[in-house]
Amino acid sequence: MIAFDYRSPESLAEALAALDEAGDEGKAIAGGTALVILMMQRLVRPGRLVSLRRVPGLDRIEPADGEVRIGALATHRDVETSPVIRERFPVLAETFRHVATLRIRNIATVGGSLAHADPNQDPPVTLMALGARVRIAGPGGERRLPLDEFFVEYYQTALRQNELVVGLELPFPAPGSGSAFIKFLPRTADDYATVAVTANLTLNPDGACREARIALGSVGPTTLRAREVEALLTGERLTEPLLTAAGEAARRAVDPIADQRGSAEYKREMTGVFVRRAIRSAWARARGAGA
Amino acid sequence: MDIPRVAGCIPGVEEIRPLDDSAYRGMLRVQVGPIRLALAGTITVEEQDRNAWRASMRAEASDRKAGGGVRARMTVALLPAEGGTELVVETDLSVLGKIGEFGQPIIRKKADTTMQEFAANLRAALGV
Repeated sequence: MIAFDYRSPESLAEALAALDEAGDEGKAIAGGTALVILMMQRLVRPGRLVSLRRVPGLDRIEPADGEVRIGALATHRDVETSPVIRERFPVLAETFRHVATLRIRNIATVGGSLAHADPNQDPPVTLMALGARVRIAGPGGERRLPLDEFFVEYYQTALRQNELVVGLELPFPAPGSGSAFIKFLPRTADDYATVAVTANLTLNPDGACREARIALGSVGPTTLRAREVEALLTGERLTEPLLTAAGEAARRAVDPIADQRGSAEYKREMTGVFVRRAIRSAWARARGAGA
Repeated sequence: MDIPRVAGCIPGVEEIRPLDDSAYRGMLRVQVGPIRLALAGTITVEEQDRNAWRASMRAEASDRKAGGGVRARMTVALLPAEGGTELVVETDLSVLGKIGEFGQPIIRKKADTTMQEFAANLRAALGV
């Protein structure tokens, strides 16, 4: 049996204090779907677990000031079924629906998923393409980071040891925007993606692309933005040569690892294929959503 | 070939002690995100060519708590090259047990960066 200290604080301040005190030995746990597995495999052995289960007020999903705010303790299922998310960010609801199984989605939290920073996860791909910002709380107060800057490496984020993710902010999509999420998973339906893409495009009234955000999952040490692809699309109209160029740029953007889901070369090739498809789909939706 | 000095160039290596003429015990600490491994094991020198400055080593180490380990074979050689000397390091690494299940690919990437740092440290120590 592995012994550890377990705290179940009833406020955010108490949780932060418990983490701060534990230093390197402290680890926050919410749903535990990732952490408990790592602990059972004895790969992570925290001296103190700080459970966030009883911390109130962090599970809300609410619109305010031109954005939606998602609390860190909202579950994947909460986001998947939230009326405001389904109405304003249908692609996000769809993305959350693709995660694992219903049993896991009922327990796994949005904040936990971000803090775990596994590049194979689906939600961060769409969240990044939608321009999400992470709200972080620590002993000194709160700070915000764009999601692009939050993931640092495999399983590593910009969080300090004594900080917690407390929420996410998503600006409402601009008029003329469309997005598409594609999860390519050739094995079982509850698997992680071999390649995941979310394309989020905003078009000018004349049909040219004003802004493009393309995020990729499972093809690098973190969820990442395909900035070269984005630059290629900006200011352009959709043509077949543009899509071909975008696919090639996407292949250059990734550094996939060979594993049981495919070789590095295969994943790189599929990145090109699915980025093209996601752009095509997002563009059609953006045209339909024109102001 | 000063094994403790060479092994000391691998980032994360601690406590190298000789076991006999050609074998040493040591500890390698590695971190991948929240996962910290303490790999305890042995390094054995398999061949040494003092004239050609070339050596090959075998290492086996395991993490007692995590129930997995690594096995590696490494050759290090100094070769004359244009403008100076070239340091060539070749490593063949296998990841075993639970660590392997969790993320062979991640460990492989970590091994890449570790070996790069090792080569840089060794180059600096040798002054080449």
